[in-house]
Amino acid sequence: MSGHQSWFDLNLGISALKYIGEIKNGNLTAEEFISKTIERIQKVDSKLHAYLSINEQAVEQARSIDKKIKAKENVGACMGMPISIKDNICVKGTKTTCASKMLEDFIAPYDATVVSKLKAEDTIIIGKTNLDEFAMGFTTEFSAYGPSKNPWNTEYVPGGSSGGSAAAVSALECIASLGSDTGGSVRNPASFCSVVGLKPTYGLISRYGLISYSNSIEQIGPITRTVEDTAFLLNIIAGMDPHDNTTIDNQNENYLNDIDSGVEGKKIGIIKEMTHEGVDKQVSAATNKAISNFEGLGATFEEISLDMVEYSVAAYYIITATEAGSNLARYDNLRYGYDFDSEGYEFNSYLSKARKNFGPEVTRRMILGGFVPSAGHAGKYFLKAMKVKSKLTAQVNEALKKVDMLIAPTVPILPFRFGEKIDDPVALFLVDINTVTANLTEKPAISIPFEISGGLPIGIQLLGKSMQDKMLLQAAYALQNTVKLPEVPI
Amino acid sequence: MVSKEEIEHVAKLMRIEIDDHVVHIDRIQKMIAYFDILDKANVESEELIVREQTIDALREDKYIPYDGKLIENLKNYKGSYVRAPKLV
Repeated sequence: MSGHQSWFDLNLGISALKYIGEIKNGNLTAEEFISKTIERIQKVDSKLHAYLSINEQAVEQARSIDKKIKAKENVGACMGMPISIKDNICVKGTKTTCASKMLEDFIAPYDATVVSKLKAEDTIIIGKTNLDEFAMGFTTEFSAYGPSKNPWNTEYVPGGSSGGSAAAVSALECIASLGSDTGGSVRNPASFCSVVGLKPTYGLISRYGLISYSNSIEQIGPITRTVEDTAFLLNIIAGMDPHDNTTIDNQNENYLNDIDSGVEGKKIGIIKEMTHEGVDKQVSAATNKAISNFEGLGATFEEISLDMVEYSVAAYYIITATEAGSNLARYDNLRYGYDFDSEGYEFNSYLSKARKNFGPEVTRRMILGGFVPSAGHAGKYFLKAMKVKSKLTAQVNEALKKVDMLIAPTVPILPFRFGEKIDDPVALFLVDINTVTANLTEKPAISIPFEISGGLPIGIQLLGKSMQDKMLLQAAYALQNTVKLPEVPI
Repeated sequence: MVSKEEIEHVAKLMRIEIDDHVVHIDRIQKMIAYFDILDKANVESEELIVREQTIDALREDKYIPYDGKLIENLKNYKGSYVRAPKLV
């Protein structure tokens, strides 16, 4: 091997920024790092099942990037770093299954905008990560290919729906990952696996090439081991895209500049409805500690009440089911799907039969999505849900006039064991109570790893003003630097 | 409580076959029952937020031919035709 660093000392736990530094200094080659990453995946992924597929050409791609570096040609900012992509985001020429049997053979014919942007910066897409089928769930237990495991304790769920992404980043199976967040699907697994997860302002990142679930609230977001790495990735993937007309002009903001600005003089609101009732004692203690760490850095706090939070999960499920019912109607097994000949079937019976390849949760949400906006029921369910969304948005906007950002634990409970909640839909609903507000109100929110309690991670969430993702990252960076967390045990 | 028949009817309209009562209907009933919480939200007088998009913010209405061989992604096709079941 050509690097100066010994092969065996190579640390897969380095951040993206450190990786780039080491490559630039000639202490490391992309090939060494990618080969070691693949060895790591081979070693731990049989236990974790973070990946659904692996890029077989990764080492070859790393070699060609090393060649460019050696020849002093132009090299993209990522310099061959391994990034994984949630398997509901299209990577041209590779399987994109959404962890569904329905798409088990689907080969994406184009790259998502986020993927093109990463490739243009010489990222190596190391593999596609596991999720709850079509991103509907919070544990990965609804993946048609089996759940991912939590690297901190493999008897526990990694969170979801981007559970494979968070597990892979946490277990050093890649440097960073992209997930998608419709009601907490980036932040929840980030919290459960002790990594950083950002749900950006609605419109900040293009969703062209993200397989649609609930367009009015979902966003793609980075999952990384440090806050700086999230800022670095955001610099690459954020911005306007003619293919997604919900994208917003961010004036080429540099999220990494001044990340160490601190929180001196910042006012932070503690969300009452997310920090008292139903919050686990240890999670509550960690939240109080985070508040006191922030106070030590010069931030001030006041309690803020958002009474619509109580209704947010119901509103979230009604809105997402309605949009899913319409988005997933495209899976007729004619244009997308698996091998099942239509010979001898009449149109409707063929579609009904073909859709049996949807898993149980997707089936239920499709039915809910037909029910809640239907004539005779829309007034009681869909319309009310939309009104809760409006009122919650007004309440959050009002709160953010008084304070710079809001704080709450990312998830009110600790990671739980497999099977513990999967049979009780309402118990599973309440796992999302602290995360759906950011989606429903289009605000940025980030989960920062803060504590390991009895071997299980706890994340703290900050929610900020629209397009103030940078201020959120600065505060997250400050909080991150107040704690030193143990290394992942796997 | 929403009836089993009502849920089965919606499933049929959504072209979804369900045959497991416990796995689907009971759970959907529980989910819908939970949504009753919205009756307490007192939001009847709220205005809905409408996302506005001005015409000039839309991309140019221009035909861009796609040269990928999309049809080859299909399982059942003949030439450039998608094979579909009989409509009537």
